[in-house]
Amino acid sequence: MAEIVAAALTAHAPLITGKPEVGKPEQRDRLYAGFREIGRRLQAARPDLLVMFVNDHLQNFAYNNLPAFCVGLAPTYQCPSPGGAKLMRLQPRTVRGNPEWAMALLEAGLEAGIDFAYSYEIESWDELSVPLSFLMPQGDVPIVTVYTNCAAPPLPSPNRCREVGAFVGEHIRGRAGAGRVALVATGGLSHWVGTPETGRINPEWDHRVLDHIARGDIEPLTRLTRDEIERDGGNGGQEIRNWIALMGAVPGWKGELLAYEPVAEWITGCATVWVHP
Amino acid sequence: MTPAVSYALNKLLTDIARQHQLRESVSDEEMTGHALSEPERAALRAGDIGRLYELGANPYLIRRVFRRRFTS
Repeated sequence: MAEIVAAALTAHAPLITGKPEVGKPEQRDRLYAGFREIGRRLQAARPDLLVMFVNDHLQNFAYNNLPAFCVGLAPTYQCPSPGGAKLMRLQPRTVRGNPEWAMALLEAGLEAGIDFAYSYEIESWDELSVPLSFLMPQGDVPIVTVYTNCAAPPLPSPNRCREVGAFVGEHIRGRAGAGRVALVATGGLSHWVGTPETGRINPEWDHRVLDHIARGDIEPLTRLTRDEIERDGGNGGQEIRNWIALMGAVPGWKGELLAYEPVAEWITGCATVWVHP
Repeated sequence: MTPAVSYALNKLLTDIARQHQLRESVSDEEMTGHALSEPERAALRAGDIGRLYELGANPYLIRRVFRRRFTS
């Protein structure tokens, strides 16, 4: 049977790679070290697939068609796309998808009442490109993406995100054949993007979220409302839905915090967390 | 509670964002054919990011299009 061999949670923000020079060197170095340590552990786990819980920033889904959950069926991902490469200061590169695996997940979901949308073409922004530049610098492991709407309210509830993640975890563990799957969720923690409070970070809330993750106790997070997350974590804090989905896929697993830095210059509370049994 | 959403503003800002263009403001010409209210037009013309937010523009789109108007 297939197994989940590794799991990790990381921030994503275009400036993490786009403007490394504006961050305080000690903060940047600690955070980069956290990303690289996750990369080292991921590669040591020898996954043959990365399932990524991420979110769109309206580059794919517009207000005429906004899926709550969408499985990426793309055969390849430009990480980043040429349009985002300059902002993120990353060389455009192609990372393989796994459309057959993604289709099996999609079909199983629809069969089980998880009504995923799907897309054959995904434009990647920082949600994939920035973390993958550290985690999979060679880009040699194919990815499957599960996009959750965290950016254009109304949003799916955190508890529904947990349920969808739980379904993905069960689907992986129920698959015949030898498969070594790693899970990565990106986004968060607190940040305010494009709102009048742009630049605010709330380390207190970030630590509260991280404490729940460290204990593997996500139930209180699943009860948060959109308004509560917005008040304490900002519109960027809504991205903890991706983390909650991943934690839902590995019940009982706990988080080991490798780095947390509230980086004012990147306007984001940035964390990297290794998740383990 | 879902915050105010202006479909017209988000449609126009999505169009601009997808061309990977940064703006200080949006011209009347570019607004032609969009079902925008007069306050929305005024805010776009002025590049007033706070007002656009109040009027229901998605903050990610505001950031993408008017990045230069942000101090942080």
